[in-house]
Amino acid sequence: MAETLQNLALGFSVALQPSVLLYAFVGCVIGTLVGVLPGVGPLAGISLLLPATFGLTATNAIVMLAGIYYGAMYGGSTTSILMRIPGEAASVMTCIDGYAMARKGRAGAALAIAAIGSFVAGTVSVIALMLLAPPLASFALRFGPPEYFALLLLGLLVLAYMSGGSMAKSLVMAVLGLLLGMVGIDQMSGYFRFAYGLVELGDGLGVVPIAVGLFGIAEVLATAGQEVPPTVLKPKLRELLPSRAEWRDSVMPIGRGTGLGFLIGIIPGSAHIISSFVSYAVERRLSRHPEEFGKGAVAGVAGPESANNSATSGAFVPMLALGVPSGPIPAVMLAALMVHGVSPGPLLITQQPELFWGFIASMYVGNLMLLALNLPMVGIFVNVLRIPYSLLYPSIIMFCVVGVYAVNGSVVDVWIALIMGALGYILRKLGFETAPIVLGAVLAPMIELALRQSLAMSDGRYSIFVSRPISGTLLAFGAALVLFNLVSWVVRGLDWRRRIPLDEKGENL
Amino acid sequence: MTRLRLILPLLALAALVAGVPIQPAVAQEPYPSRPISLVVPFPPGGVADLTARPVAAAVEKALKQPVGVVNKTGAAGAVGMQFVATSKPDGYTLLLALSSISIIPEADKLFGRPPAFTVDQFAPVALISADPTILAVRTESAWKTAKEFIEDAKKRPNQISYSSSGIYGTLHMAMELLSHGAGIKLRHVPYAGAGPALTALLGGHVDALASGPSVVLPQIKAGKLRALAGWGDKRVASLPDIPTFKELGYPEAEFYIWAGLFAPKGTPEPVLAKLREAARAGVADPEFKAAMDRLQTPIAFKQGEEFRKFFEADARRLADGVRKVGRVEQK
Amino acid sequence: MLTTDRIGGSALCLLALFVMWESRALPLGTLRHPGPGYFPVLLAALLLILGALVWAVGGGTPHVAGVGWGEARHAVVILAVSAFIGLSLERFGYRLTMLAALLFLVWLVERRSLLAAAAFAFALSFGSYYLFDTLLRVPLPRGSFGI
Repeated sequence: MAETLQNLALGFSVALQPSVLLYAFVGCVIGTLVGVLPGVGPLAGISLLLPATFGLTATNAIVMLAGIYYGAMYGGSTTSILMRIPGEAASVMTCIDGYAMARKGRAGAALAIAAIGSFVAGTVSVIALMLLAPPLASFALRFGPPEYFALLLLGLLVLAYMSGGSMAKSLVMAVLGLLLGMVGIDQMSGYFRFAYGLVELGDGLGVVPIAVGLFGIAEVLATAGQEVPPTVLKPKLRELLPSRAEWRDSVMPIGRGTGLGFLIGIIPGSAHIISSFVSYAVERRLSRHPEEFGKGAVAGVAGPESANNSATSGAFVPMLALGVPSGPIPAVMLAALMVHGVSPGPLLITQQPELFWGFIASMYVGNLMLLALNLPMVGIFVNVLRIPYSLLYPSIIMFCVVGVYAVNGSVVDVWIALIMGALGYILRKLGFETAPIVLGAVLAPMIELALRQSLAMSDGRYSIFVSRPISGTLLAFGAALVLFNLVSWVVRGLDWRRRIPLDEKGENL
Repeated sequence: MTRLRLILPLLALAALVAGVPIQPAVAQEPYPSRPISLVVPFPPGGVADLTARPVAAAVEKALKQPVGVVNKTGAAGAVGMQFVATSKPDGYTLLLALSSISIIPEADKLFGRPPAFTVDQFAPVALISADPTILAVRTESAWKTAKEFIEDAKKRPNQISYSSSGIYGTLHMAMELLSHGAGIKLRHVPYAGAGPALTALLGGHVDALASGPSVVLPQIKAGKLRALAGWGDKRVASLPDIPTFKELGYPEAEFYIWAGLFAPKGTPEPVLAKLREAARAGVADPEFKAAMDRLQTPIAFKQGEEFRKFFEADARRLADGVRKVGRVEQK
Repeated sequence: MLTTDRIGGSALCLLALFVMWESRALPLGTLRHPGPGYFPVLLAALLLILGALVWAVGGGTPHVAGVGWGEARHAVVILAVSAFIGLSLERFGYRLTMLAALLFLVWLVERRSLLAAAAFAFALSFGSYYLFDTLLRVPLPRGSFGI
């Protein structure tokens, strides 16, 4: 412990140097901008600015990139809450309750809770990162394909908790999402599936076009032609901050979201979007007022937003402790290190203590900076809602196009978003929920790959799932969950669920 | 709103769209007179991307025009490669490709689909680097030399597993060349990229991995992985004790993850000549050398006839390898 | 009969059949070694069953016309403009495409004054291009005229 404090002191001495502070600040600002703009997520931001970091020192470069990453996570909630457009794929869940809160005039509260939740989650998870990085990383390495499969299967079960309304209708949307995830090159055999000759579809439809289309564009299509333009209650300054009740409601979700997000983030390769889905489902399940979810439940914003941010820190654990990229964003950051001649690997922590501890310290500082940046901006952001909708929605369409195009520089992505937008509109009118589609599209390729990899590893024997301790435990847990719920489902009946849809039906918004 | 108000302008827009083609008209100026795009078909931060940026900087110095790196990712590189194959051969759109450029069209042929592009659609400019692949296993595993590994594989066919960056990818093909050359059968577990493939080896989920040296060197230094042999013509500079498969008696196991500069076919010869000159000057640039050193990637410059011979031999080897692998699903 | 759930359910069933048809070229493999066609067919079968279930139980939901399609015409126009954007992004380049699209939407569809609409469209399209392409270095398409 004393050694850790000493190291932390070293880290702060590095992080509080003016140049490092400056780059952290620049990173946070750029990240917030990047996050606020719909569709342009942290990966795009980091990749585009990677070349700009080549001229900096290693510490400055990595601090700036991490700042962008964090900032994007903070900023992504803004468009989700104000315009129901996911700032990046991981903010999809915030779109649901965050936007509903905004409609009720509680936009300021939602933004503030998202910012504070992100701050708490960010800080706590950095502490965990600092103290637990090496042992956690070794644990995370033991997650192989069978463990992924078991974990993702649990993730699918989560879908059952996301739904209000007809179980069949949510399930069918989930299956639709799973099918959409099948488009692309099959990693195991090399076949192109459902690509119709378009090479751009080789990596699948893409979570960003699907999410932006189903939520952002569909929202515009459904709202733009309304006879009466959407009325937005203009909050007074006092009402910008959350009420005492809202604070109370957000404490536990923030705590749970932090823990959950961090754990999911550590596992290499898992998508962070899952952390927000799982958090949402857990909050809904544990809530005393589950019928509020979908209509502006505070927990529906606090939980997913915290989960998001702590998953970000979690993702750094394998990267720093082992030099192993746990996803595309850590991969870019590892590359940044390599370019500066720092070879990432298990020895990084011991060989480059200034870098590692400086990085950790700057994350504390960064979280503080982002909170300081975002909270005062709440007032400014809320004013975006005052723009007449007839001017707002063309801008929304424009931002959606830019955001989606920016991911791959491909017009095909823009078309996917547009088609998804039309589909989302029709589904809304017909009373189907669109969130399960996104989850399905994200999970499908991962689950299928994990299953087939596991079978390749074991040469076709299914026993591999039970013979390995971690996957066996996860599967047993899942089976227990299913059994428990079947029992309580039968006992409690479907009444209250049938009456409360996740999303509004029709147009009475 | 009345229908007519909107329909007329909509029709006008449609007519505009129909009337204008996507490719711009030809311009005639001395080359180069505009910024040049270097298309990298892989995501930022990967081996290709990190090699491309110093190349772009070096060529920019030589040609005195900005050279911008454009990442056009997708389908293991096919998207970016197809993009350059079909772009105007005026020297303003170039490609930094990895050895997979020879693999992808073969794989397409294997599956009977119209190829995304063909190797003939490119004019090779220069070879920049050629990383020999090395065989890595965990230090805890029983094999201390490549010989032990191969003998064990012969005794237990289809029991030893290895990870790769994807089916028909560079890391997969390297292993396949070895398997065919040594007469062994290994179990292949494809992963989505080189990063996950490395993670799988470190985590003990597979037994071996064919990888570019820069990725595994830190792990070897930290004592987590052991290198057994290399697929190169010569030993890797940073691993002088590791023999090559050629030395061990398996000459078919020759594989490089190389990066080369290409232009679309039909680019005028004077432009190509200028590009070759720029590449040669760029590779000699000390800043470029320093950048490549930091990346632990050895420079292996070849151009003109030499590159073409290397490229064609490599392409033939890989095409053979792909055909031998065949369609996995039919086995 | 034409209730929302009935229409949704039958559409999904049709989609499921379409997917199964399109997967006919993909090898199914075996249970021990699933091939590329395995999961799509499995999911399509699941979709078929669930879609049929939704159809069967869906008699009680509101009739399609009763849902209220007031904004549909507006939505169609927006979609048409979006299609124009998709087709023109790489022909005309980002700035010109957005200028035309925004102008169309704000002036003709939303009936604002030409001057206000033009100013808005110009500012937003060129301004966003500057923000993204120049400042944030997100390459946006330039189109055949090089703009």
